[in-house]
Amino acid sequence: MLVERLRTIVGNDGLLFDPSELLVYECDGYVIEKKVPDVVVFPTSTEQVVAIVKLCNEMDVPFIPRGAGTSLAGGCLPIGGGVMIALTRMKRILEVNLRDRYAVVEPGLVNVHLTQHLKGTGFHYAPDPSSQGACTIGGNVATNSGGPHTLKYGVTVNHVIGAEVVLPDGTIVQLGGQVEDVPGFDLTGLFVGSEGTFGVCTKVTVRLSRDPSAYRTMLGVFNTVGEATNAISAIIGAGIVPAALEMMDQGIVEAVEAAFHFGFPLDAGAVLLIEVDGLEVAVDEEASRIKELCSENGAREVRLANTQKERLLLWKCRKQAFGAIGRLSPSYCTQDGVVPRTKLPEIMDFINEVSARHQIRIVNVFHAGDGNIHPILLFDERNTEQVGRVLAASDEILEKCIELGGSVTGEHGIGVEKISFMEKLFTKETLEVMERVRTVFNPSGRCSPQKMLPTAGACGMEHIERSHPGKKASS
Amino acid sequence: MTMPMTASVIEASEEFAPATVAELERFLGENARKVKKPVYPVGGRTALHYGYPLCDPGTVVSTARLSRVVDYPARDMTVTVEAGIRMEQLNELLDRERQRLPIDIPQLHRATLGGVLATNSNGPRRYGYGTLRDYVIGVSAIDGRGNLFHAGGRVVKNVAGYDLCKLMIGSLGTLAVITQVTLKLRPVPETSSWLWCSYPTWQQLDEALERLTTTATRPVAMIALNARAARQIVNEIHLDVPVESPTLALAIEGTQKETEWQSSVLKDELSFTGASAMYDIPGHHGESVWTALTDYPVVTDEPLTFRANMLPSRAAGFMERADATGISLLSHIGNGIVIGHFPDDWISWEQSLAILNSLSHQAQENRGNFVILQCPDEWKRDLLLWGQPESGYQLMKKMKAAFDPEGVLNPHRLFVKA
Repeated sequence: MLVERLRTIVGNDGLLFDPSELLVYECDGYVIEKKVPDVVVFPTSTEQVVAIVKLCNEMDVPFIPRGAGTSLAGGCLPIGGGVMIALTRMKRILEVNLRDRYAVVEPGLVNVHLTQHLKGTGFHYAPDPSSQGACTIGGNVATNSGGPHTLKYGVTVNHVIGAEVVLPDGTIVQLGGQVEDVPGFDLTGLFVGSEGTFGVCTKVTVRLSRDPSAYRTMLGVFNTVGEATNAISAIIGAGIVPAALEMMDQGIVEAVEAAFHFGFPLDAGAVLLIEVDGLEVAVDEEASRIKELCSENGAREVRLANTQKERLLLWKCRKQAFGAIGRLSPSYCTQDGVVPRTKLPEIMDFINEVSARHQIRIVNVFHAGDGNIHPILLFDERNTEQVGRVLAASDEILEKCIELGGSVTGEHGIGVEKISFMEKLFTKETLEVMERVRTVFNPSGRCSPQKMLPTAGACGMEHIERSHPGKKASS
Repeated sequence: MTMPMTASVIEASEEFAPATVAELERFLGENARKVKKPVYPVGGRTALHYGYPLCDPGTVVSTARLSRVVDYPARDMTVTVEAGIRMEQLNELLDRERQRLPIDIPQLHRATLGGVLATNSNGPRRYGYGTLRDYVIGVSAIDGRGNLFHAGGRVVKNVAGYDLCKLMIGSLGTLAVITQVTLKLRPVPETSSWLWCSYPTWQQLDEALERLTTTATRPVAMIALNARAARQIVNEIHLDVPVESPTLALAIEGTQKETEWQSSVLKDELSFTGASAMYDIPGHHGESVWTALTDYPVVTDEPLTFRANMLPSRAAGFMERADATGISLLSHIGNGIVIGHFPDDWISWEQSLAILNSLSHQAQENRGNFVILQCPDEWKRDLLLWGQPESGYQLMKKMKAAFDPEGVLNPHRLFVKA
């Protein structure tokens, strides 16, 4: 009955309900908990989304929006089954206006396709998550995605000025717009990062940024992780905001070198990938100050990427580092914690200590300039005893992040994975306020049930005990 | 017309300046449970005239005593302070570390950070650096029922929980009383400089803006002034520049080398756009230009001030039409924001209303809206002070009820009493 009525909305080729076809949609990059939806629909217009949402209300079934499914915290896990609204066929670029610095796009547009479309105009869309070749702008809005260049340019919310949203009751609302200072509360800013719990986004207005006219990309080589983190602290402390400041430790460098043959030194304890951008007249000066600061903090070498090809290869190594990890271990689990950047040496020491105590190898590749760590715990998922130690080590690292004044997620989101940490991060009163805010948008709780807040929703939840950590990850 | 005026309501209200957050929590909790009287949160009292007039006396809650610096780890480039801190004091603190919040705040010596958040204050640098939503990374506040809540944190990147910080910015004290704020900071650049260009016509000024779409430089402020506003500013700071026609003022910042290079490139790029004069205003004089432009919206005796938003490319056309009526106009023209003061020599209600309706209509045609920042209280009931209701209006009303179910926080200031 549900399927038949959905068919009248999206047509025969707009839905999947065969159990074997649904398997793809049972999880995102977080593979510990799985649940297949009853049906996946692929709307091609806002009107179809409205009809689908209204039908779900009429038949009292939960529904959940989904982009490319590259999220890492179970944000698009269809708890309670129901209808999954896959937005991948709504992928048009509706308007580009360079003079007024915005573009209006549909949510299923792949992040990098917007950048490619803008090539040659002198403008780009700044947020560049490592999964940008696959992830969608709508998904970026849901999770408030970051990426290596957020250090200088900010995360998704800093570049989204408007959104058309189908609310959980099926009404269409325009939040923000193509102009600034829209009167009233900043519901656009609130909507970004709401992980699909406020409704289905059907159009996004993004701010376009000017391309930098020059780059200098450097590789700082250090004997120890401690020296590298001290250099980061010195650079930020000196009042320099590089466009990106990323760290890879020895374990990751080894894997990346084997995969991409960049010429990384295999005996280095850590390397920093540092990029400055801006006016041609300024970048050399900034680059040489950074070089000095690295040397003062024990860098044994600072290499400059001499050609655009070398620069792109360096970035490829960084962005595809996760793909190279398969060389180190059969399974791995990536964590996403944040600490104040001056606490990086402390958290890195702690990670080492946890690694030794639990006998779990941990390698690191992360957004150092933001204090956003991604420890990667290596293991073999066939070894259940080892799996238990990986989970314990992960939790200890995240708890240490809280203790150091940080957060348990810098860019991956809460989803279902980190719900249990919400009570450690926020007071009961705060969670109550968040609950009330969600109720304003989503009073029935039918849209993306059981996400983000520990007290979540009304639908029957079959909670699956965590038995093994996630395998895939990217950032 | 008889109606209680905001000033008299404030005067008739009791005043309460809590020394601790706990004291304020207790007060708001009891107020919501028992007397349910209106609460008017105030900081530097620079924006009391915003919005619909207050109706009933209640309690003026001042954050004056909540002004501690909680934590300033300068090497992390973040700062956590209580909301009652004066902006002047905060800026001095940050300047000692050569850091800043790159947002221009009018009436620095009076304004408090909490008030700045509540009103979403900003100025010329918004073109290059954005607004408060790009710098506030943590907020503590107390809702209308006396619940203290926290959003965000003290780290620059954080996606745990809903971003309630965004909701607090520009909420005019209608959702919660802000008690503490964490900001992300920026380094102070070595120098800044203004380039002051006069254009014979608005159309030529618009062509210059079109040319700047792909400029090789990166201006941090882009301001347009009509002759009336230019005269006012130039008189105030004793500048020797022409003011008889539309003005485009561009600011650049950076190292000495960067500003020199940008200044010369800008002049090159603009050399064929018909400017009748171009002046560099560096250093000390440049500083006074920043202050005068930032204070422009608030330093006025004029009867009515509005703020229109629209697509930036339509702002010059909007200004040309508004200019003809004798209004004084400043635009953050790279952001599509136009601020105007009505002159006091044609203050009749009918005359003003006709002009307001026409300007408001024009802003809406260009995808924007039209907000009245200040005008005589007796006009307010008949005006849409916050513009035509936006599509999210019903959600906003529900949001107000979620934070303040008893309707005690700045009642009817944002949503007029039916």
